[in-house]
Amino acid sequence: MTGALFALKLRLLRNGPHNERAFGLVTGLVLAALVVAGSAPAARGVIHEGWVAVALTVWGGMWVFGPLAQPRHDPSVISREWLRGYPLRPGRLARALSWTELLGVGPLITLACLASLVVLAAPGGPAAAAIAALAAAAQLYLLIWAGKTVAALAAWLLQTRAGMTLAALQTAIMLALSFAGWVPIAAWLLPRLGEGDTALVIPTFGHLPAPVIDALTALPTGWGYGVAVAVRDGAGFGEVAAPLAGLLAWGVLLQAGWIALTARALRRPPRRAVPRRPAVPGRPLPLPGTSPQVAAVVSRELATWLRDPARGVELRSAWLTPLLMAAVIALTDWSWALPLVGPAAAVFGAMVAINTYALDGTALWQLLTTPGALRADVRGRMAAWALLFGVPSVALAAVLWAVTGSPLGGAALGGAVTAAAAGCAAAPLLALVMPAVGADARDRVHPGQQAGDPTGGQMTIFPVVLAAAAVPGVAGALAGGPGWVAAAVLLAGALLYATPVLSVRLLHRRGPGLLDAMASRDAAVLRPAALKAER
Amino acid sequence: MFDSPVPAVEVADLTQRFGSAVAVDRLSLSVPPGMFYGVVGPNGAGKTTTLMAVCGLREPTSGTIRIAGHDLRTAREAALAQLGVMMDGLSLPERLTGAEVLRYSAGLRGLDDGWQARAGDLLEILGLDAVPRTLIVEYSTGMRKKINLALAMLHRPRVLVLDEPFEAIDPVSAHSIEQVLKQYVDGGGTVLLSSHIMDFVERNCRRVAVVAGGRVLVEGPTEEVAAGSTLNERFIELVGADPVRPLEWLR
Repeated sequence: MTGALFALKLRLLRNGPHNERAFGLVTGLVLAALVVAGSAPAARGVIHEGWVAVALTVWGGMWVFGPLAQPRHDPSVISREWLRGYPLRPGRLARALSWTELLGVGPLITLACLASLVVLAAPGGPAAAAIAALAAAAQLYLLIWAGKTVAALAAWLLQTRAGMTLAALQTAIMLALSFAGWVPIAAWLLPRLGEGDTALVIPTFGHLPAPVIDALTALPTGWGYGVAVAVRDGAGFGEVAAPLAGLLAWGVLLQAGWIALTARALRRPPRRAVPRRPAVPGRPLPLPGTSPQVAAVVSRELATWLRDPARGVELRSAWLTPLLMAAVIALTDWSWALPLVGPAAAVFGAMVAINTYALDGTALWQLLTTPGALRADVRGRMAAWALLFGVPSVALAAVLWAVTGSPLGGAALGGAVTAAAAGCAAAPLLALVMPAVGADARDRVHPGQQAGDPTGGQMTIFPVVLAAAAVPGVAGALAGGPGWVAAAVLLAGALLYATPVLSVRLLHRRGPGLLDAMASRDAAVLRPAALKAER
Repeated sequence: MFDSPVPAVEVADLTQRFGSAVAVDRLSLSVPPGMFYGVVGPNGAGKTTTLMAVCGLREPTSGTIRIAGHDLRTAREAALAQLGVMMDGLSLPERLTGAEVLRYSAGLRGLDDGWQARAGDLLEILGLDAVPRTLIVEYSTGMRKKINLALAMLHRPRVLVLDEPFEAIDPVSAHSIEQVLKQYVDGGGTVLLSSHIMDFVERNCRRVAVVAGGRVLVEGPTEEVAAGSTLNERFIELVGADPVRPLEWLR
C-alpha cells in the first residue's frame, strides 16, 4: 500500500500545479545554499559557528510555526477524503500515508540546508562527517514530524468554532511578532530616537554569547548541530549518541502522534463547525448616502465577514494584530511610535480582504445576471471594508496620538487615512485581478478547508497600502506644517474616485471568466478569458 | 401576466468553443412567450452551456441571443432585467438565511415594497419559512433548489431560465417546485429549462428541444417530438444508446 501511495503522490506532484512548488523549491534551495555556504567559514573559524545554530533554529522554527502562521493552508497532497471509502483500517492507512509525507519540497530543501552539519563536522575527518550526515537525516526526520503534527493538530482544532478564534489569535501573534518584533531590538539600539537623537548603541557582534549558543543547542532544533560540533571536536560517545537518540526517539513519537491524528481524521468525516447564526433574521442596514443596492451589498458583506469561517479568521486576525503590535511597542521606550499602529491596521485590513471574490466563489453568477449589480457590489464591498477596517484604523491612530502626544501623530493619522483609502479601493480591485481560487463557498464549512492561498495578492497590496500610508508623512516633512492634511485628503480622494471605476470595468470584462475559474477551481482559465476579452 | 408577440427567448446560430472543442454548434431556438419549454439531452450535450449563454454568464463565440427582444450583447441590462435565473451547482451568498438572501436580492434589484409579500409567499409555499435561522450553506439540495427558485421569481421576471431544477431532489420538493412553475406559466410567464427528468418534461413542457453534440436534433411540440412513444423512448432513439454487453463477472 505504501508503494501505491508513493506512486500516487509522485504522479500528483508531477501533474502540478507547479508554480507554488517551484517557487518554494528555488527560494528554499537559495536559502539552504546560503546556510551551507555560511557553515564553511564557520568550520574554519572565520565566523562564529554559533551563527549556524541560529540559522538552523530559524529553519526548524519555520517547520514548527509555519503551520501556525498559515493555519488554513492544507499542505497534504493526497486528500484524506479520497481514502475514506476504502475498506482499510484507518491506522494502517495513516501509517502507509505517513511515509509519503517525507516526499515533498519542504523535506528536500531542509535536507539541503542540513548539509551544513556535514560541512561543519568535516574538519573532524571522514568519520565525523559521516556521523554528521546521520545527524542531518535524524534532524530532518524530527523536523518533518514536528511540522506535520503541528499542522494536523491545527487542522483538527480548526473544525470547531473556537478553533476559528484560536487560528486568528495564532495568525495575529505571528504577524504582530513579524511586524513589531523588531521594535524592542530597535528601541534597544536607538533608545532616544523619539527625541530625534539617532545615537546608536552598538552591541558587539561576531561572537554570540555562549549561553545563547547553549540554549539553541539544547532545543530539539539544535540537537543535530550539537552532534556535528561534538563529533568534530572528538567528544565522548555520550555527547554524540544522546542527541542523536533524542532526535530519533522524538521523531518516532511525533510520527506516531501524526498517525493517530490522521487515523482519527480518516475514521470520521470532517465535522461541520456550527456557523454563527443571526439571533433574529437580519434587518436592512440604514446607511445614509447610499443607494438601496449598495446598502444591500453592505449588509451581505457585514454578515459574511462575521459568519464565513475563512473570512472570520481573517477579520479577527486583522483586528487583533494591531492591538498586539501596540502591546509590543508599549513595552518599549518607543511609545512615540504607537500612533503608527493605525496605518498598520489599515494595511492588515487590506491584506485580509484581498480574496473576497474567490471566497464568495460561484455566487458571482447572481451579480452577473442582475442589472446594475456589479457597480453596487464594488461600492458595497468598499463601504463594508471602510466600516470594518478603515474607520477603526483611523480611530486607532487618532486615539493613540491623543494618548501619547507623539510628534508623529499627525503623519500617522494622515497615513491611516490614506492607507484606509488605498486598502478600501485596492482590495476589491486586486481580488479581481489576483483571485486565489479554492473550495467554493457552498463547500466551506470550517476554516481548515482549502480556501485558496492569497499570498500573492497580499504581497502585492502590502507595499501599495504602505506606500500610500507614507505619503502624508513625506509630504508633511517636505512641505512642513499641515502639509500632511492636504496630502492625505488629495490622495484618499483620488484613490476612492478612480479605483472603483476600474474595478467595475474589470468585473464587467472578466466576470464570466472569473465565474468559470471558480466553478472549475482553476484560476488558469482566467488567462484565455482575459485574452479573449482583450481581443 | 405578460402579453407580447416577441419571442421570450431567441437564440440564433449560437456557437460556443472551448479551445478546439465545440460545446455548442450553431444552435438556434425560439421560445414563444407564455411557453413551458424544455431542453433535453445527454450529459455534455451543451444544455448548460446554452443556458449559461442565455443568462449572460458566458460570452458566446458567435451567434445572437435576444431576451424579450433585447439583444444580450448590445442591450445587456435590459435583457437581464427580463430574466429570472436558477443555475445548478453554483453558490449563493452562503452566509445569509433564506429571508436575508431574498431581502438582499430585492435590495440589489431596487425592488419596491411589494417584494416583501412575494418573499413571504415564496418562503411559505416552498416550505422554507420553517427554518428562519438556517444559513444557505446548511441547506439540503432540495432547499437550495427552492431558495434558488424563490430568488429567480422574486422580481416577477418575464422569463425563467432553470438549469436542472429537479436534479437530485426528493419527490416532495420536486412537487412544490412543479406547482409553483405551473402557476407561473399559467400567469403568462415563460419557462426555459433543461432537465433529465423526461417524465416531468413530457407532463409540463408544451415544446421541447432534443440537443446532442451541441446541436438541436429535433424541436417542436412535445407530443410531436415523442411521436407516439414516451419522450424517454424517443430520446434514446434519437440520441442513440450503445447496447450493453453482458458482464460475465456479474453472474
